[in-house]
Amino acid sequence: MPTVLQNIIRFILLVLLQVLVLNNIQFLGYINPYLYILIILALPVQMPRWVTLLLAFALGLIIDTFSNTLGMHAFATVLVAFLRNGIIKLFTSIEEGNNPTPSFYTFGVSAYVKYVVVLVLIHHTTLFILEAFSFTNFWITLAKITLSSFVTILMILGIQSLSKK
Amino acid sequence: MKNLINFLIQYSVVFLFLFLEVISFTLVVKNQDYQKSVFLSSSNSAVSVMYEWSNSVVEFFKLRAANENLSEENTSLKNQIINLQNKLSTLKKETPDSVHFRVPPEMEYQFIAAKVINCSTNKLLNYITLNKGAIDGIKIDMGVISDEGVVGIVKTVSNRFSVVIPILNPKLEISCKFKRNNYSGPLKWTDGDYRFANLNDIARHVELALGDTLVTSGFTNNFPVGIPVGYIEDFKIKESDAYYKIKVKLAVNFRTLSHVKVINYLNYQEQKDIEKKSEEQ
Repeated sequence: MPTVLQNIIRFILLVLLQVLVLNNIQFLGYINPYLYILIILALPVQMPRWVTLLLAFALGLIIDTFSNTLGMHAFATVLVAFLRNGIIKLFTSIEEGNNPTPSFYTFGVSAYVKYVVVLVLIHHTTLFILEAFSFTNFWITLAKITLSSFVTILMILGIQSLSKK
Repeated sequence: MKNLINFLIQYSVVFLFLFLEVISFTLVVKNQDYQKSVFLSSSNSAVSVMYEWSNSVVEFFKLRAANENLSEENTSLKNQIINLQNKLSTLKKETPDSVHFRVPPEMEYQFIAAKVINCSTNKLLNYITLNKGAIDGIKIDMGVISDEGVVGIVKTVSNRFSVVIPILNPKLEISCKFKRNNYSGPLKWTDGDYRFANLNDIARHVELALGDTLVTSGFTNNFPVGIPVGYIEDFKIKESDAYYKIKVKLAVNFRTLSHVKVINYLNYQEQKDIEKKSEEQ
């Protein structure tokens, strides 16, 4: 069961990294990368969808608990988990019966980059709009979405290009 | 019936998705007004213990600045003690024994020292977690200050931890006044910048100058009068406006915040009761 173990370790490490380090990053006041979404992005392709959804919900709630934003991360993460399969089908052609872990090697470089960019943008947009819910600071929200997504995407692609197959 | 069951099975993932999203959204909306759930916030003790642990590492790097602040405060306190002693000794000689002094009731405060173990400044709704709670005498609605000035108001309390709404949260308005001329108004933070807040309730006939000091008004039960809140950084008024748009530089630097004092106003309950009573009559 190396894949399961690998995913559990990744889950714990990324959650710790997120709440202890990344939540404290405030570069330029706008950039706040949410790298933990990689946990969902890196789940095996054929993972049962209900498991993915429940995992995403639990993950979101954990992050919420640490940052006092009850519900916001849970909402955005569950949305990403739900849309993930559709996006994979859209960009790649994975044969039935195969169960690869998403990466540069299994998806191909351009498909994987598209996959990460689209899902991170969806996640960050939902999250920051929810956060800005009660007031209308459109430009600040937009700046936060763009800059944070950019940094998160760079970090995810960086980590993935370092890891071996 | 069979069709219905087939339909349910086929779309079970979609239903699960919708169900989880509804739960999350409800949590978000319910949480907007007032965070009642201590369990799923950072005053939850498991989360707090972890923050405390991580904070002990971070704090090591802030020791130098904290030391400087402490020694500065120490000296100013010592100076005050000497001044007060001098005054007291002169007064003792002049006044007969029958006259005794009473502290004005609105000035009876105690301070509870606490440490910041989690503090966000980059969100739209920021919160601060402290390492003192109900056991140490902290109650909801107490004011929180640092050596530099006003920090915020206690919002939730668990046994050993408490969560503060700082000025850096649009849910909090702090009633302030200008030290120079006593005009007062509510200060609100909307900018997204942890250094500045806005004051939009000062009428145009008031004279302002850059750098004017803004202090607490003492009209609320959380803060005594005269604690620094910020300084005027910039102000604008259009021909058609009745009120100034004032940009205030906050006295407290929230990025380096580590030690705070929670204000325990001893006559809080009595004042609240009598105010409530007169409202009812």
